[in-house]
This record gives sequence, C-alpha cells and structure tokens, in this order.
Amino acid sequence: MFESAIIRVYLYFAAGLLLFAGTAIVLLKFVLKKNADHAWRSFRGWLIMIPLVVGAILLGREATIVFFGLIALYGFTEFARATGLYRDWLITGLVYLGIIALTVLTLIPPPDATEPVLGWYGMFMALPVYVVAGILLMPILRDRTKGQLQLIALGMVGFVYIGWMFGHLAFLANGRNAAGSILFLLFAVPLCDVAAFTFGKIFGRHKMRPNISPNKTWEGSLGALAVGMALPWAFRFSLVGFGTRELILAGIIVGIGSQLGDLSISVIKRDIGIKDMGSLIEGHGGVLDRIDSLIYVAPLFFHMTRFYVGL
Amino acid sequence: MMEDWDYKPVDDFDKTPIERLSVFPRQPDMFWYGVRFAVHAVLRLWLKVWHRYRVVGRERIPEDVPFVMVANHASHLDALCLLSALPFPAIQTTYPAAAKDYFFTTLPKVAFSAIVVNAMPFDRKENPRESINLCRELLATPGHALILFPEGTRSATGEMAPFKPGIGYLTAGTNVPVVPCYLDGAFRAWPKGAWIPRPFRLELRIGEPLAFALESDPKAVAGRLEEAVKSLRVDESSSRLENPSTT
Repeated sequence: MFESAIIRVYLYFAAGLLLFAGTAIVLLKFVLKKNADHAWRSFRGWLIMIPLVVGAILLGREATIVFFGLIALYGFTEFARATGLYRDWLITGLVYLGIIALTVLTLIPPPDATEPVLGWYGMFMALPVYVVAGILLMPILRDRTKGQLQLIALGMVGFVYIGWMFGHLAFLANGRNAAGSILFLLFAVPLCDVAAFTFGKIFGRHKMRPNISPNKTWEGSLGALAVGMALPWAFRFSLVGFGTRELILAGIIVGIGSQLGDLSISVIKRDIGIKDMGSLIEGHGGVLDRIDSLIYVAPLFFHMTRFYVGL
Repeated sequence: MMEDWDYKPVDDFDKTPIERLSVFPRQPDMFWYGVRFAVHAVLRLWLKVWHRYRVVGRERIPEDVPFVMVANHASHLDALCLLSALPFPAIQTTYPAAAKDYFFTTLPKVAFSAIVVNAMPFDRKENPRESINLCRELLATPGHALILFPEGTRSATGEMAPFKPGIGYLTAGTNVPVVPCYLDGAFRAWPKGAWIPRPFRLELRIGEPLAFALESDPKAVAGRLEEAVKSLRVDESSSRLENPSTT
C-alpha cells in the first residue's frame, strides 16, 4: 500500500538532505574556496532524480512499477551498448521483451486468483526460465556457433541481473507496505554509498580490492556496514512488521549488499575497460552506475521480507 | 586460461542520447529502429493515400549488394519517396545523403534527419572529400545502400540542374551499381517554400542500374547518370497511359 504518511516523512527527509548538501557545497565553494565542481554536478543530478522517483511513487503503484520497468530497460540498454551485445538485435530484443513481460507480470494478478492479488508472483519468479530458454534458442534458429556463448551469456546476465533482480524492486510495490519498503531501499542504499565514501576519505588506509576499485578501503567498507546496520533502526517507522531479527538482516543486506552491488558493476566495467556505464545523469554516469547497489540489494531484501514478514 | 572475450562497446558509447543522434555511421539502436519502422509504416500509407504514390521498375533495385540510388531533387519528399520504394527492412540500412549545413544544425532537424530520414550528414561545404570517403566506406559494407541527389540542392524551378561530379568520384572505377531514378510530381506537390505537401500524384520511375568499373573520369560518370535520370523523365501525360502491367 502507498501510505501517504510514510511518503511524507521521506519527502521531508529528502528535502532536508538536499538542503544540507546544497548548503555544504555553497560553504565549500564560497567560504572555504575549495573546488566543489564535482560535488555540484552530482548534486544537480540528485536534484533531477529525487523528484522523478518521488513523483512516480506519489502517483501510486502502477506508476512506480512502470517507472522501474523503464529504468531496467534503460539500464539494460547501457549494459548491451557497453558489452557490444547491442549489435545482436535478436538477443537484445528478446531481453527487452523479457523486461517488458516482467513489468506486465508485476502489474497483473494471476489468472487463477480467486481473491484480489497484486502481481503474478509465480510467473515473475519463473520468467528467467523462459527467457533463458529463449536466448539459448536464438543461435539454434540461426544455425550459428562463432561467438555465440558470449552473446548467450551476456543476454542472460543482462536479463537475470539487470532485468529480473532489479525487477524485485518494482515487485515490492505490490506489498502491504510498498512505499515504506521501496523508499527505505532508495534512501538507505545511497546513504551507505555516501558512508563508504566518507569513511574511506577520513580513515581509509587499507585498500580493499585494488584491482576492481582502487579507491575503496576496508575502513570505508566497515563504516558503510556500520551505517547500513543502523539505518533500518533509524527508518523503523517505514519497515512495518519488522522485529529485531528482520532489522538486523535488513542492515546486513543493505550494509554489505550495496557494496557488493557496486563492486559487481565495477568488475564488469573494468573487464570491458570503461569508466562509466553511460552518461545519462550528469555527475553520476549512467543509470547502471546509479542503480548498481540497488540491483544487488533489492532481491535480497525482497526475499528476506517475504520470508519473515510476508510481502 | 580461457581466451579473452571480445567486448566491442558501441562507437558512440560515451555520448549522451541527444549527442548520439548526430553520430555517423549510426550505431545500432533498437529503440530508434522501432520508431523508424513505425513512422515509415505511416509514411507509406500516407504517400499511397495522399499522393497516390506509384513505383515503376521496383524489380531493378539490386538485391544483396551495396548500391547507390541517384535521383532528381525537387522537394523534401524525395528522400522519403525513395526510401518508400525499397523493401521495408531496408530503411534501416539505406542512408540518404543530406546537407550537414542544413539538416544537422538544430536539434529538431537533427532528430528528424537521423530518426525519420536515417540521413547521412554530407558536408558539402567544408569537407566534401571526407564525406565521399565515408560514403565509400559505407558501400564497402554488405547490406548498406545510399541515396544521393547529385544536383546538390533542391531545384527552385522543378527543372533538373546539372549533376555534380561527386557521384563520379564515388563510383568511377568500381562495380557498385548505381540506380538512376526519376521522381515525378514532387515539385508540384511540395516545392521549396511551401508549408505542407499538396495532394498531387507522385510517381517514381526506376531505371536499369549502371556500373562504372571502366570509367575513370568522374565528370563523365556524372554526365551519364544525368542522362540516365533525364531519360526517365517521360512526358507526364504518357506515363498516365502506361500499361499498369509494367509496374
């Protein structure tokens, strides 16, 4: 359900954060005369993204699901363009269809439902079977072998990782506490990123994964985990039905998962040899650079919630 | 150790979606492919209904090899009419050359040229040589085709201007088939300066493809093509009486 009281708290919180960050940048630039251009560009990106996301959530369940569906489509486009999968229109097109199907399955009830149910959960979970089977079929239809394993594998990662795993965030919109869970993730995950960055800047000594992401340190990572563990308690009002066990699990998922999501996209980027996944959002790179942590966290949080609290 | 995978990011990878529109050779983009197909489906219907558009000699369009279509140029309808004479999927791989200084200046024009017309930006003012080289590269790739208007600009009177030798530089000494075409009625339907196309009949006559493997003089090539296009300019009234079975 899209509880307006919860949305309102997050709105105030978002406005407060933006105000705080804006003031900090102004101070940095004009009082301390530091170079704040990067922070400013990143801030402007947030100024566009936050109203878009909050607007979609305020419009309700359907708008939220379609909004996340479009983000998944665009994210996959970036992935396909970066890896070169985009040149194979058949597999790319199939993954597009798969992501559109996921969005539809999130919207419609199961055909055999006897009472009102939001979203066709069973088919949503089973869809990767059909999409993977479809992707495997493509080289067979065209009688090709050369380079096909690469295309098949890229198509599967594209669908399962970017489409389906991220799609869980949209499916959360069908929950009893839809707005609360989605907004919690949308706020907690970037806050963990910020914590990792800040703790790393202040205390960072020991590089964590120098090959993948040379700027990340163990100190920053532990700081992010600490913040991640604290956030579910701080946002307890929006996690309806969560007890101590669920809050701890949510903290672990957000604190560790968001960093692993970040590193996972970094592995892909490093392997391809690119810096950003795209250039849609000023100061943030591509859509995938922004949602990398969410992709990893959303399905873990989703299944933990569904198992212990019920969706 | 497994052999490295060969990732090839698209060439316009670091560009924003708007910047990408002006990139040529155009990179594959499923979204714009879809939009282009949709627009052209409507366009073909509109040409048929509004202009009673007819194509004579469609079977002369080469199959499976890169080719160039050349035609007279009297209106903005020309490129769209020629594209509409091709098999539907070919609109994604056929590029009408369009003046960079006119069609690739403002965002609405760029969007229309890139998405609807699938135009190739041709730098006729500053760097025509480079643009011709780009054409040559395109024609070396199987499955591609070009549409050129060798007069260089739209006719202000409806009369054909002499062909510029650029088409000769491109095709002299090569086996690339050049298909002469004459579009009849476009000047009446949408002359320079008119706001919207008027419902006059349009007819495209496609001639036998020519190749200039043994010709070395670009000007001679341009001249022969000009003649070939002119020879398709049969009298307006006689084309009406033409036996429909030849279409």
